[in-house]
Amino acid sequence: MSLDLVRVDDRLIHGQVVVGWGRELKPDLVVLADDEVAANEWEQKLYALGVPCSMRVEFATVAEAARSVDAWAHDSCKTIIILSDIDSLQRLCNDAPIIRKVNLGGVHNDGDRQQHLPYLFLSEAEVGQLRLLATRGIEITAQDLPNSAPVTLEDLL
Amino acid sequence: MNRGCLAAATARLFLFQGSMNPERLQGLGMAVAIEPLLRDLEGGPAGKAYHEAIGRAAGFFNTHPYMAGLAVGAVAKAEHAGVPSQQVDRLRMALKGPLGSLGDRMIWEGVLPAAAAIGLSLSTMTNPFIAVGAFLLLFNAPHVLLRWWGLRAGWRLGIDVAEALSHPVLQAGLKISGPMAALAIGFAIPVVAEWLTTGLDAAARWGTAAVGLSTAIVTRWLVPTLGAARLGILALAATLVLGWLS
Repeated sequence: MSLDLVRVDDRLIHGQVVVGWGRELKPDLVVLADDEVAANEWEQKLYALGVPCSMRVEFATVAEAARSVDAWAHDSCKTIIILSDIDSLQRLCNDAPIIRKVNLGGVHNDGDRQQHLPYLFLSEAEVGQLRLLATRGIEITAQDLPNSAPVTLEDLL
Repeated sequence: MNRGCLAAATARLFLFQGSMNPERLQGLGMAVAIEPLLRDLEGGPAGKAYHEAIGRAAGFFNTHPYMAGLAVGAVAKAEHAGVPSQQVDRLRMALKGPLGSLGDRMIWEGVLPAAAAIGLSLSTMTNPFIAVGAFLLLFNAPHVLLRWWGLRAGWRLGIDVAEALSHPVLQAGLKISGPMAALAIGFAIPVVAEWLTTGLDAAARWGTAAVGLSTAIVTRWLVPTLGAARLGILALAATLVLGWLS
């Protein structure tokens, strides 16, 4: 299996992903699964510039990504998937049951969220979505960088 | 745009992380830096356009502080060009990640370790004040230039700011900064190790080597969450306690 990281981070492709996780996991492919970015070429151009030439970047809607997860998981190249929010994560996990482990790397406040970690704010609805995913056996941990301690969903909530 | 406003915005880029907080990270820094560039929006500082643009700029934002000038300039230009507010928000959101990634790769993985290694190497060969001066110059000149250039490039290009990220000098900087740092560190480690252990007997030299090796093993493989700085503080505390006990 070469799906090395499924990460929720509202900053999408940024330093922690490319430098932090990128150096640790050495992915060949970074998939940015976001409906809005997938529909916007100039945004894709910007995000592509943030990825070093040692990694490929692909843009997909959440539905497109869900259809390709099986192929990425069984491909020899190492892949990481970046999602912008918990709603996208839930949709991806619903349509791609092969995903058994997810990383919460950065969800920031948009007004009605409560802080759980310095980099993690969640609304009540999002907490419910995460609990639902956990009941299906998906391992959910919060960890911003590879060298920081992972926090399990139980400890988080 | 008058030069005074651009100069004021450039100066405020140095305060970009001054109000960093978990909720909006650098949002307030963005609003403070962009404010001089928004004063001549329709209606001036008392106008609706100015207030709405400042409010948008103060939303959640997180990027590399040295690259932030590009975002500040591009967003300000988009506000002046009458780009719809939703698209200005998308521009701000789309810039933060890539600028963060480019800055982390170029500065934290390139310029900073290279400058530190060159400074350390020089300190073993010449007057320590020259070494400190060289480090400060090598580290500070690139980021001051980046802030100055970034703001003006962003302001010139607005929503087409991706062109600036493809600038050959920036791309060359990205390509050479990492290898430059590796070369400088590779040179500095034996030079500094030799300097540090000069005058020590063989046992102390082996002891120094063992401490260096165990630090690398512990921070890289055994307990990566500990970090080199924490391990260094623990080692220092242990040394002090042992010294006090003996």
